[in-house]
Amino acid sequence: MRLILRNLGFYLLAFWASITLNFVLPRFMPGDPVSRMFAQAQGTMQPDQIAQLRKLFGLDNRPLWEQYVSYVKSVFTGDLGISISRFPTPVSDVIGSQIGWTLLLGGVALVIAAVLGNLLGIVAAWRRGGVLDSAFPPLLIFVGSFPYFWLAMGALYLFGVSLGWFPMRHAYDVGLTPGFNGEFLSNVATHLVLPALTIVLVSIGGWMLGMRNTMIATAAEDYITMAEAKGLSPSRIMFRYAARNALLPSVTNFGMALGFVVGGALLTEVVFAYPGIGYQLLIAVQGLDYPLMQGIFLTITAAVLIANFLVDLVYVRLDPRVRVR
Amino acid sequence: MAPSRMPSRRPRAVLRAVTATAAAALVLSACTGGSGAAGAGDTSGNQLLTIPREDLATFTRNFNPLSPQAAPMTLQAVYEPLVVHSMADAKDTPWLATKWERAKDGKSLTFTLRDGVKWSDGQALTADDVVYTFELQKKVLGGFDYLDKVTAVDAHTVKFSFNKAFSTAFYEISNHYILPKHIWSEVKDPAKFTNPNPVGTGPYTKIEKFQSQSYELRKNPDYWQPAKQRIAGIQMLAFSGNDSANIAFTSGEVDWTQSFIPDIEKSFVAKDKKHNHYWFPATGAMINWQLNTTRAPFNDPAVRKALSMAVDRDQITEVAMNGYAEPADCTGLARTYDTWRDTSLAASCTWTKYDSAAAAKALDAAGYKESGGKRKLKNGKNFTLDISVGSASSDWISVANIIKQDLAKVGITATVKTPDWSAVQSSYNTGTFDTGIVWSNNGATPYEYFRGVMSTKMVQPVGKQATENYHRFGDKKADKLIDAFAAATDEKTQAEQMNGLQELYNEDAPVVPLFTGPEWGAYTDARFTGWPTAKNPYATLGNRNGSTILVLTSLKPVKS
Repeated sequence: MRLILRNLGFYLLAFWASITLNFVLPRFMPGDPVSRMFAQAQGTMQPDQIAQLRKLFGLDNRPLWEQYVSYVKSVFTGDLGISISRFPTPVSDVIGSQIGWTLLLGGVALVIAAVLGNLLGIVAAWRRGGVLDSAFPPLLIFVGSFPYFWLAMGALYLFGVSLGWFPMRHAYDVGLTPGFNGEFLSNVATHLVLPALTIVLVSIGGWMLGMRNTMIATAAEDYITMAEAKGLSPSRIMFRYAARNALLPSVTNFGMALGFVVGGALLTEVVFAYPGIGYQLLIAVQGLDYPLMQGIFLTITAAVLIANFLVDLVYVRLDPRVRVR
Repeated sequence: MAPSRMPSRRPRAVLRAVTATAAAALVLSACTGGSGAAGAGDTSGNQLLTIPREDLATFTRNFNPLSPQAAPMTLQAVYEPLVVHSMADAKDTPWLATKWERAKDGKSLTFTLRDGVKWSDGQALTADDVVYTFELQKKVLGGFDYLDKVTAVDAHTVKFSFNKAFSTAFYEISNHYILPKHIWSEVKDPAKFTNPNPVGTGPYTKIEKFQSQSYELRKNPDYWQPAKQRIAGIQMLAFSGNDSANIAFTSGEVDWTQSFIPDIEKSFVAKDKKHNHYWFPATGAMINWQLNTTRAPFNDPAVRKALSMAVDRDQITEVAMNGYAEPADCTGLARTYDTWRDTSLAASCTWTKYDSAAAAKALDAAGYKESGGKRKLKNGKNFTLDISVGSASSDWISVANIIKQDLAKVGITATVKTPDWSAVQSSYNTGTFDTGIVWSNNGATPYEYFRGVMSTKMVQPVGKQATENYHRFGDKKADKLIDAFAAATDEKTQAEQMNGLQELYNEDAPVVPLFTGPEWGAYTDARFTGWPTAKNPYATLGNRNGSTILVLTSLKPVKS
């Protein structure tokens, strides 16, 4: 219990540091959103409207500390303000409408990559020197080091354009009304295959290699020899003794990666026109949309911290050595 | 330590199970329903006009026209202006107003509204709506400083009174959208109202199936010209960037695009020569190479003209812009303003013609001599300059590189700098740039253009934010001509002032004009016909500008 409380305190400190950074960093960027908007309008906006727009967007020159205080207040009340690049839609609406797709895409890809990668790593390590161990890690790392953009466009061209097996864009067929019925869900699944597949291909090598290396170290432990001497079946030893202990670093990595899923998969969204928060963040940064940038950074920060905290809790359950301290 | 012995039984079962489930999942999802391309090949007569937006990855349900970020088609299909101006043929089409009268002293404009126009909720359009629109606009966004008051003379006549003679007000006022007073006067904070179910006079006002990746606009049942509502509706699709949008377009799944498609002949037209067309009229803004006139030697017009002579505009338009742009001349006017061009002046241009030798001679004469292959400034240092371009504009980066090569021929070393546009923009605003590639204003008349390049009123000192005239050049003579143009009420005086401005521009060379930017546009007429073309230029192929509504009301679905 004390352990959890101490961890919680540490996480709150980390949270405060991140929200301060989230506030400060965008303001270091040169330029301001209104003149950017005006330049893009190329003469269709009148110069006299600039002052008024600045006031409307809340960019009037209040002292920085005042802005910081109201920002911290808004973090805790959940009022993230009004987006500038999507004026006057509130930031929470902008994020809320797209985060679902990001979580779906990122979550599914992460789970598949982690589960498959770990399984392959376990088997590869157990059968050291075998076909799986010799061929797969280098192959998967090789595939994973291709530039993701290239891999995604290649997959899109091969499976989408040439073979026509999978749809080429969007999260579901245009004109379909979302709902929890079989037709919509299967449509979403079909559209999810290519984007998720490309992300899985790129990341699976890392999971496999990590798991394999930890497994090899674990397989050299004394209790494995003891289990073999006791006469337990190899698969039981592999999963319930070796893998279980080798899983710990993977759990940590999984927690970190889960938090960052919320940041969106920018390149996937660009190539597959998949709705999500990654491209939204890019537009917000390019258009200097402070409220939306702050909102998205806050979401990422909170997600990473929460995921890490949850992993810490799970760790306590998984690793008895941690409880003793 | 246990040696890594091979266990006797290989855990094949596990591996097999894993691969089996993965394969099953893939096959299952591939089997369930193919991806019906949106409307491709649909010629039932009810097909929707499909338009991609590659700059907005997702749509938000915001149809508030006061917002600079209203959803697409808000100003093109939902709300309408009094008069529609087309940049393609410079014609004005009466729309919500049937006729207008400019007072002889230029201080007022009177519009007569069309009879029988209804809002999409059934209420009638009256002059009160027009009065309310401009009052709201002034309150929320400001601007219109020349506008004193707007009055409803009667239910169908509106009078705009100015505090000074301002003839270009006609375009700003007549092209402005009109809002319904009975809806907007009830809204507590009009600036922050997202207007999810807009009420407008336009042809397509019913929003249906709104999702973040697409939405549809269906017919307004009370539209005032039902004969022109031939298409069943409009479908907007969201994309993140040009690449995915262009794939959809070149495979015939969307009808009309305004984004740049590289190598359009091969990648688009060749796929279906019968139906795929494009048209890039030179109706865009003049793209300039601006020199920061607050820095020596750019404050010397002789130097500016010499640098201009060193630039090969033909190579720029052929290579960097793929032949789609038109080189500039010394009047500074884009091709859009051909009717205003002083043709005798244009025929006798010197400093906009490519001539490296003449440029070198002119630089020598101005006191910048070459020594050891490098041109020197008056203080002995090398003549170098930076050219700023935003990293996202690959075509303009090519332009800057060509200029760099041309300048090397006269001994000037140029460096092309390409940070993100927001950094470049802010250097333009504060005047901390050296030189840069920049757009210019593109209004209905050259008024905004000359104001933006030569007016002293828009000059801000270095360090203070400028909204145009980033190169900070002002000529009082230009001010007089610009104001006289705005105050002139008859065409002859206007033409005189415009000629005067062009002569002054030729003398001063405030910027180095490069080329008229084309307005991109491509379409397929497999599902809809009636598009504007070079032979029938009633509008441009832009789907986000003031003439878009002309296209929407001219298209006919193909019925088979």
